[in-house]
Amino acid sequence: MTTEPPSPGISISKTAEPSTLDVSVGPQHPGSGHCRILIRVDGDYIVSADPDIGYVHRGCEKIAEYRNYVSNIPHLERPNIADAIHLNWGYVLPIEELQGVVVPPRGKYISTIAAEMNRIMSHLYGLAIMQGVFSGHTTIFMWAFGDRDLFIELAEMLTGARLTYSFLVPGGPRRDLPFGFEDRLSRLLDYFEKRLVEYDRIFFSNPSVIARAKGIGVLKREDAKKLGVVGPVLRASGVKYDVRKVEPYGAYADLEFDIPTFEEGDSYSRYLIRFEEMKQSVRIIRQALEKIPKGPIARKAPLVAPEGEATGRVESSRGEITYLVMGDNSDKPSRVKIMNGSFRNLIALPFLVRNVHVADMPIIYGSLDYWPVEADR
Amino acid sequence: MSQDTLQDFAGVWIGKMSELVQTIIGSGPIKYIVNWSRMYALWPVHITTACCSAEFGAMMGPRLDPERFGMQAVAGGLRQCDLLIVEGTVTKKMAKRLKIVYEQMPKPRYVIAMGDCACSGGLFHDSYSIVNDVHKLFPIDVYVPGCPPRPEALLSAIVKLREKIRRQEVFA
Ligand code: SF4
Repeated sequence: MTTEPPSPGISISKTAEPSTLDVSVGPQHPGSGHCRILIRVDGDYIVSADPDIGYVHRGCEKIAEYRNYVSNIPHLERPNIADAIHLNWGYVLPIEELQGVVVPPRGKYISTIAAEMNRIMSHLYGLAIMQGVFSGHTTIFMWAFGDRDLFIELAEMLTGARLTYSFLVPGGPRRDLPFGFEDRLSRLLDYFEKRLVEYDRIFFSNPSVIARAKGIGVLKREDAKKLGVVGPVLRASGVKYDVRKVEPYGAYADLEFDIPTFEEGDSYSRYLIRFEEMKQSVRIIRQALEKIPKGPIARKAPLVAPEGEATGRVESSRGEITYLVMGDNSDKPSRVKIMNGSFRNLIALPFLVRNVHVADMPIIYGSLDYWPVEADR
Repeated sequence: MSQDTLQDFAGVWIGKMSELVQTIIGSGPIKYIVNWSRMYALWPVHITTACCSAEFGAMMGPRLDPERFGMQAVAGGLRQCDLLIVEGTVTKKMAKRLKIVYEQMPKPRYVIAMGDCACSGGLFHDSYSIVNDVHKLFPIDVYVPGCPPRPEALLSAIVKLREKIRRQEVFA
């Protein structure tokens, strides 16, 4: 990337070879924005692609060093506000480990319910925009966004905010389940299960969606392992790996759920895996609402963390998030390092879009469910 | 009459004529019609600068349905758009591109600054890589504070902007 593009939109320039052209897509493009992808095309085929990220790099890790542990929570969940609870939880877990605080069982269950609700919301967002709009299917955008708002309402009832909850602090969640919440949530889940059948009918079994996504952008099992992709992208390639099972946190050890996997590894199976995960999330929330114990929700945690380092891993909707937190006997962390799913999945994009039609690139990009702000931190 | 004076005369005459046309268009019922049609054709450019875009999406969704105000669901080309919504943090890398996007838009163009970050820096005000003064890049018509603002707040900003357009002069 030696020259700046003349336009932030889509611009085309000549290359040394006569048959190919360089096309710069972004950061202003009809799809998502804040990510530029430089592609080299030969006719209608993509020869190579080079994602240029960093348009939303806000220096979260550096800021975390000069704010104290609790004031870090709001800005560390901003990188992915569609999935705020998971980012929040991943940061809180290592602090609790450093301080030796154990969250009471009820607190763990509440966190789990909030996290699974968040997973459904995030997958609905992905279904609406990354999969629906990118494959030119506006109906699913409207349906999924309408249903997402119902979950957002409940999240607002529980935490007080629509998207940016800052719900978990070291020691446990901030609030108990409000009066009438269980009832409303289980009624919403009944409704949502009916809607999932309709989603399947209008989107996943839709011949035009199948024709556009099936067999496009195949990521084989070995390649997925080698590239180090995580989360739904990895599981769609047939690797059964989920942090919730491998290293259970929260209340996941007590709950029963399956890890859906697919063998094909194409864009369509990456679409489907999120659909299957939503069903599993419904199952988890149902069980958690049934099994939730009585008692305190949180313990008092000190504001200072002792010297040492700890890592926390959570399975967010876009893959595994790892936080490394280093304490130095003060109220501020001396280092916070974030590794997240979006960044690790984007690495697959250049390999997946090779030798496909230009029109298939949005499908593949959407199937990765890439959230640029999260990747840039 | 020499050639020069004739040309002078014609120039003056044409100048006067265009002024006259401007006065006619810029007043009364024609101004009303022009502003009314601008009000109902606010197409936003889709350049998402940061996380506020999630609420922008929610505003575009079925709940609030901005299409009743003539806001087309995200048009592709920025040369057809007349509304730039700065959706959140503007980093230094993005600021250059954002300015180019603004300059490429046809006039009249309007800007809404969405989120605390676009208004004043917000949560990331002390970061090394962001621009706190977005208003120095281009003039901003409506500010919507909030982190992120609720979709209703963004919609009310659009209603405010429409009110501003309704009262504006045609040739400003
Ligand atoms: S105002 Fe808040 S939500 Fe909006 S871009 Fe800034 S940090 Fe993100």
